[in-house]
Amino acid sequence: MLRFVGRRLWYGAWTLAALVTLTFFVMRLAPGGPFSRNRKISPEVQANIEAAFHLDEPLWQQFARFVWGVLRLDLGPSTRHRDYSVNDLIASGLPYSLTIGFWAIVVASLVGVALGIAGALRRNGMTDYVAGTVGVVGIAIPIFVIGPVMQVIFGLRLGWLPIGGWDGTWRSLVLPVVVLALPNIAYISRLTRASMIETLRENYVRTARAKGIGWRRTLWRHTLTGALLPVIAYLGPATAAIITGSILIETIFAVPGIGRHFVDAALNRDYPLVMGITLLYGGMLILFNIATDVVRAILDPRIRNER
Amino acid sequence: MTDSLLSIRDLTVRFRLPQGETTAVDRVSLDLAPGEVMGIVGESGSGKSQILYAMMGLLAANGRAEGQVLFQGQDLLTLPPRDLDRVRGDALSMIFQDPMTSLNPYMRVGDQLAEGLIVHKGLSKAQAGAEAVRMLDRVRIPDAAARARRYPHEFSGGMRQRVMIAMALLAKPKLLLADEPTTALDVTIQAQVLDLMAELGRETGTAIILVTHDLGVVARLCDRVVVLYGGRVMEEARAETLYDAPVHPYTRGLLAAMPRLETALTPRLGTIPGTPRSGGTVSGCPFVDRCEVRLPHCATERPALRDLSPFHRAACHLTGAQ
Repeated sequence: MLRFVGRRLWYGAWTLAALVTLTFFVMRLAPGGPFSRNRKISPEVQANIEAAFHLDEPLWQQFARFVWGVLRLDLGPSTRHRDYSVNDLIASGLPYSLTIGFWAIVVASLVGVALGIAGALRRNGMTDYVAGTVGVVGIAIPIFVIGPVMQVIFGLRLGWLPIGGWDGTWRSLVLPVVVLALPNIAYISRLTRASMIETLRENYVRTARAKGIGWRRTLWRHTLTGALLPVIAYLGPATAAIITGSILIETIFAVPGIGRHFVDAALNRDYPLVMGITLLYGGMLILFNIATDVVRAILDPRIRNER
Repeated sequence: MTDSLLSIRDLTVRFRLPQGETTAVDRVSLDLAPGEVMGIVGESGSGKSQILYAMMGLLAANGRAEGQVLFQGQDLLTLPPRDLDRVRGDALSMIFQDPMTSLNPYMRVGDQLAEGLIVHKGLSKAQAGAEAVRMLDRVRIPDAAARARRYPHEFSGGMRQRVMIAMALLAKPKLLLADEPTTALDVTIQAQVLDLMAELGRETGTAIILVTHDLGVVARLCDRVVVLYGGRVMEEARAETLYDAPVHPYTRGLLAAMPRLETALTPRLGTIPGTPRSGGTVSGCPFVDRCEVRLPHCATERPALRDLSPFHRAACHLTGAQ
């Protein structure tokens, strides 16, 4: 198992390296630069600024400088946010994004899996109907519609929760987490339900029933493993996407996370920040995928033996 | 029969389908003595497997069983789920058709075996594990102790079915239901697996109901044979009687369609013309469409199952005329 993880990490590192290299050069292909402005500044000043950020060096040298920085865990200064390094920006925003993302994925998996199992066990019953409706609503209505509607209901009308910002308590977490979790609850519950129904039809579940070990044991020991494997496979990339992809949520609820930096950095040609965030997101995606593979290998001996 | 282990009375299995209700098993009555080996033969769709599923409470969700299945004095059809679970896997166990998919791929083989003992006999995990290894050894799994720690995908088809047999016989059941246990296996190991099952059954005094469409298998292993067609019992007799003096036209057709060594290479194997009717309820004999000696009232009057001798019954209007 250790070798399995080691090998996945090794390949993951190469994937990340390829991603970062590609991003570095593609970013430079885009017209403009960090200090292109509508307002004319004198060429001397422009040259001075660019020299300060080493933008006057040949591209290969800039790349080498960047790689050397990554190895020392120093992502360099932001060209847009003066006096802040990329490390500072990530360090200040990441905790918020992580917290919201973590709770959203926890809520989404627990509620989604529970609804899915309940729906599969009592097919066409009340729970199944409710879960199905939540599923369609959660998938069909975009976050930027549900978010403001929730703000109006729970923030303005009922006044139970803050409509945005960060007051350091759980109360400001609730709305962003719920809105972020909702589409995933929908997706996970549908996935769980379908996979559960399929597994319940498996011959080995019939064998378990024939053994007379009771429905609880049949469910826990013989049905859930098989039924949850596809869900776990989905959770890896979904977790990375939720933690990193909460740009809309952070905008709607005015959360000082890093999601907003991603778009801003690209628009402003803030090369160091773009590279830093790409590295972070790419690394997370790869790590969560490896984690998923490890969990699946623990559960399924056939996957374990393949490698 | 007072000493019977199993007494099935008028077992009827129906399935609700979008196009209406269909009867898979139609008023079947059977008796089985302790330790006896009974074969149920019939072609696909004759309802033979559904009899077993009905007994085990494993019918598909749209299926419903009526009648009475008295096993050790309890009616399995009306038993609450909790009580049924006390019987199945313990005194009553089953081997399924497809060993490749009938074992849980995520669980060690030894654990799957031990589980039943832990639940039914209250053994500790260690005791049950040791029993499981002993049983695997008896079904001739080489290096059983190490093999018990392996997963099903690491076993061949024949070995998996032997594992299933070990699992079914571990609790020393009074009755073993075997649903075409060798259909999915290689021909070369079919006999080996069946002999093993019969041998172990004899040792533990377990009665067996063997469902198959292979008359050769039945001849080798069974004391008594029931011939099923369209969900009804056509003929029932001791194995030797059935082979030597079959009376029902369907049984005769089946036997004529069976290759025999002594008549090898003679013209062609016999076939029964036509196909079984699908669905619907028949008022007369279900075999009437394909019967070569049918009488005018065969299509309208259901032939009763008549005793021809103490151990021979058949449902055919012709036998009544004899």
